[in-house]
Amino acid sequence: MPNAGPQPETPPSEGSRISRRLLLGTGWCGFLISTLGPALANVRYLFPNVVYEGPTQFKVGRAEEYPAGSATFLEEQRLFILHDPEGFRALSAVCTHLRCTTGPFVPPAGQWKEPYSRCPCHGSIFAKDGRVLQGPAPRPLDFYRVSLAPDGRLLVDTAAIVGKDDIFKV
Amino acid sequence: MADDRGTSTLAGRIMGTRVWQSVFRHGYPETDLDRMSTMFTNFFLHLLPAKVHPNCLRLTYTWALGMVGLYLTIILFVTGFLLMFFYIPSTGWAYQSMKDLQFAVSFGLLLRNMHRWSAHGMVALVFLHMCRVFYTGSYRAPREFNWVLGVLLWGLTLFLSFTGYLLPWDQLAFWAITVGTSIASYPPWIGETIRVLMLGGHTVGQGALLRFYVLHVAVLPAVLGLLLAIHFWRIRKDGGLSRPAGAPGELAVTAGHERPFARGPLKTYALMELVGGTSPMVGAQAPEEEIPSWPHLVFPLVVLFEVVLAVVMVLGVFFNAPLEELANFTHPPNPAKAPWYFLGLQELVSYSALVGGVVVPGLLILGLMSIPYVDREAEGEGIWFTSPRGKRVALWSILATAPFTVLLILLNAYMGVRRLFTEAPQALADLLNPATLLLVGIAAFSILVGWRTGSRRLAAIALFSCFLSAYVVLMVIGTFFRGPNWDWIWPW
Repeated sequence: MPNAGPQPETPPSEGSRISRRLLLGTGWCGFLISTLGPALANVRYLFPNVVYEGPTQFKVGRAEEYPAGSATFLEEQRLFILHDPEGFRALSAVCTHLRCTTGPFVPPAGQWKEPYSRCPCHGSIFAKDGRVLQGPAPRPLDFYRVSLAPDGRLLVDTAAIVGKDDIFKV
Repeated sequence: MADDRGTSTLAGRIMGTRVWQSVFRHGYPETDLDRMSTMFTNFFLHLLPAKVHPNCLRLTYTWALGMVGLYLTIILFVTGFLLMFFYIPSTGWAYQSMKDLQFAVSFGLLLRNMHRWSAHGMVALVFLHMCRVFYTGSYRAPREFNWVLGVLLWGLTLFLSFTGYLLPWDQLAFWAITVGTSIASYPPWIGETIRVLMLGGHTVGQGALLRFYVLHVAVLPAVLGLLLAIHFWRIRKDGGLSRPAGAPGELAVTAGHERPFARGPLKTYALMELVGGTSPMVGAQAPEEEIPSWPHLVFPLVVLFEVVLAVVMVLGVFFNAPLEELANFTHPPNPAKAPWYFLGLQELVSYSALVGGVVVPGLLILGLMSIPYVDREAEGEGIWFTSPRGKRVALWSILATAPFTVLLILLNAYMGVRRLFTEAPQALADLLNPATLLLVGIAAFSILVGWRTGSRRLAAIALFSCFLSAYVVLMVIGTFFRGPNWDWIWPW
């Protein structure tokens, strides 16, 4: 200080001296951490730890209820049960574009040489093996795992996605 | 400044009481000084300047679009508060409470209709206001940041509309949440997390309804209120509404200021000395060129509010807000169409969700915000289209973009990536579709305009006009030319 007033009588010893920069820096860091911490806690708070959603596994009836060669649309579960000569598969009816429910399979018509299903929202068209024939859907429809419940009914697990060659034989 | 028009009348006697005078510090203002003093001391009126430039009052300059937007916001807040008394944000009760509002609550139907039509009006008005501000070059320094705030307010208006039409829990609501949150899950890395955050889980249900309800009635209105306050405050601090330089005397005459006002006993600029910082007088050629806001601004604004309220009420009486069937989680309606203002976006999403739903809207918002930082010219501010040349550029951009947009969509319908190669990878479909080609075409065109004319303002006009034209064309296509299964139909 060029124009100093009265000097302190005993300057603090070098060892205990904390620079202004260090003090303010520590203060600012403390302030930021104490603000950021609660902010992050608030974000984490918004992700629920417990959700009350329906089960991902459900029984879809006995194998005999599905005629050979059929593609049965199960409305409640939003999926198709395909009964081919090789066995059973569960094809998701949830469009891979934006999760609308794609329509039932209709017989080949026009440019489509195989049965196809259309999504009403943005016009995606799918084949029975899940392939995208047309439209904005970025990937084929999913297949879910099919197994047999102890009581002899078919069990579908929508949380377990399998390949299209994963066929369940009864 | 006590009112001395006599204490013989009842009104005069009431206005003479201490209670009245403790609330209203002024009687009816008689002189210019009184008028400005009233503007200055009244909490509500002090949002407005004490004096305005006559150009701000020209209807053909502003078309009062921002003000009508504000009035619709006020109507939306009031009707929204009232609707909250009957609406229950639960998946079991939401639809029932809409039916109650329609059939069992006195004036419930009218209030819901008014809320709906005001919301639609606000979407349109905020957009038109943005067009006005753009074409008059009002985003120029020092108003750049207020333009950015305006773009944010536009986005907020759309998000408020979206969260609003989810609440009735009808078919539109359920499938809009499904589709909307699925679009939000497309950004790489963070997409799925965003979707869980929005839904409060993994499926569309109670968690999602409650979250969108809280966003609609608490979070977004609070943010809107805050941004609006800053928006208005900036208008004042940035020197009031933009105006062209020169010739204000003639404008003062056309604005109906022929009748001279009695001047008060004190100098008027004394008022301005009470406020520090940049005052509304900045840029004014001289204080004499401005006229008192009372009555020239305040009275038209009161009449305008009456007109807006009347129009909304008439719409509410004669046109009922639609309510679709109760939400059915197994089947979307066919066709499943968004409200008109999102149909352009739905058209783009029907080519690629990632590009049409995330990339293009994101670039659009960023592009709009960056306009004032790219065009830093100063000439032509406050003049519609800046110059006759600007008007020609705008017109040609609008006229040329419409067939270009239609051409791209037809090209995609007959020779799109998925048409030619059914097995083409998704990345190719994302890269080559009407949305991306439109974006590239518009960007190239406006860069060309800027390069040929050497004017960034003209490049900005080309960019904005192309975007405006494409937006409208896509909206028209989505509204009238798309039918069940999002197939092509003729509107007749």
